[in-house]
Amino acid sequence: MSSKSVPSQKAKLDELITKAPKELEPTRDLWPGIEFALDNSKQASQQFSKQHVVWGIAASIMLVGFIALLSFESGKQMSGNNLVQQLSEQHVKQKDALLVSLKGQVAVTQNWQQQLQELDEAAIAIKKALANEPNNVAFLKMLKQVHQQQIALIERVHTPAWQKI
Amino acid sequence: MLYEAHLNRVYVLCFRLCADKSLAEDATQEVFIQVWRKIENFNGDSLFKTWLHSLASNVTISHIRKQRGWWQKMMNIEDAGIEPFSDENAHCSNQLEGLIMRLPERARMVFVLHAIEGYRHNQVASMLNMAEGTSKAQYHRARTLLQEWMDE
Repeated sequence: MSSKSVPSQKAKLDELITKAPKELEPTRDLWPGIEFALDNSKQASQQFSKQHVVWGIAASIMLVGFIALLSFESGKQMSGNNLVQQLSEQHVKQKDALLVSLKGQVAVTQNWQQQLQELDEAAIAIKKALANEPNNVAFLKMLKQVHQQQIALIERVHTPAWQKI
Repeated sequence: MLYEAHLNRVYVLCFRLCADKSLAEDATQEVFIQVWRKIENFNGDSLFKTWLHSLASNVTISHIRKQRGWWQKMMNIEDAGIEPFSDENAHCSNQLEGLIMRLPERARMVFVLHAIEGYRHNQVASMLNMAEGTSKAQYHRARTLLQEWMDE
């Protein structure tokens, strides 16, 4: 290559780059493959949604049962300590059942168990406060909220990554 | 329809990156599947075309890595150097296209992303998991080879 021809070759290459086609048509129809993959995704998504519905129903039944129990127990002057115990037991059952159902499914974050542990610690602190003030409604609400956060955390980290996109 | 409007533009990018018709077609399919899954990530900060091309580049690079074994490709093909003429060249619509297909893989990818798609070297380096200096060196290598081949 002579040094004299380099500038013209450079210019020629630049021109070719500028004029490079913006489009090219594939030789086969790609849509059927895409459609097939998307349909499979939808089916998987629907299956996952069904699982959520089942859990929603189970949670609702538990909530209704819990409210009925509260109404019944309130007639018997149920103490705050008993209520905390009931709440905790219900939550442990729900959490364990959820963890069992998701066993084998890969979690999308590494430290979710640590987060769960932190929420557990928060629940313990609230229960200690409730031990001193068993009928404090604000504390009871906080405890319920922490329980709900734990359930939401477990569900969230086990949701397939593409469903979160 | 989004697919019809952007298919040929996405495919040309995939084909240039892959230098393989069949691999490029598979990568194009993967791009549109990912578009459907990630469309909610498009927040309107950039043009849709820009977002789509960035997604297409990343999906295609990832597809090539999965299909061929990135390290194997890097070690073998780079040592082997220039790609021979193949059927892929017949699929090319102009002179530059045919020459790009002959470039070694890393030089080709850098050239396509920088010279044709307009990404900066630091962006190319990040996409291809290489140093910025390597991207510049590969680009220079690609240009030198292309300029030599133009007169053949």
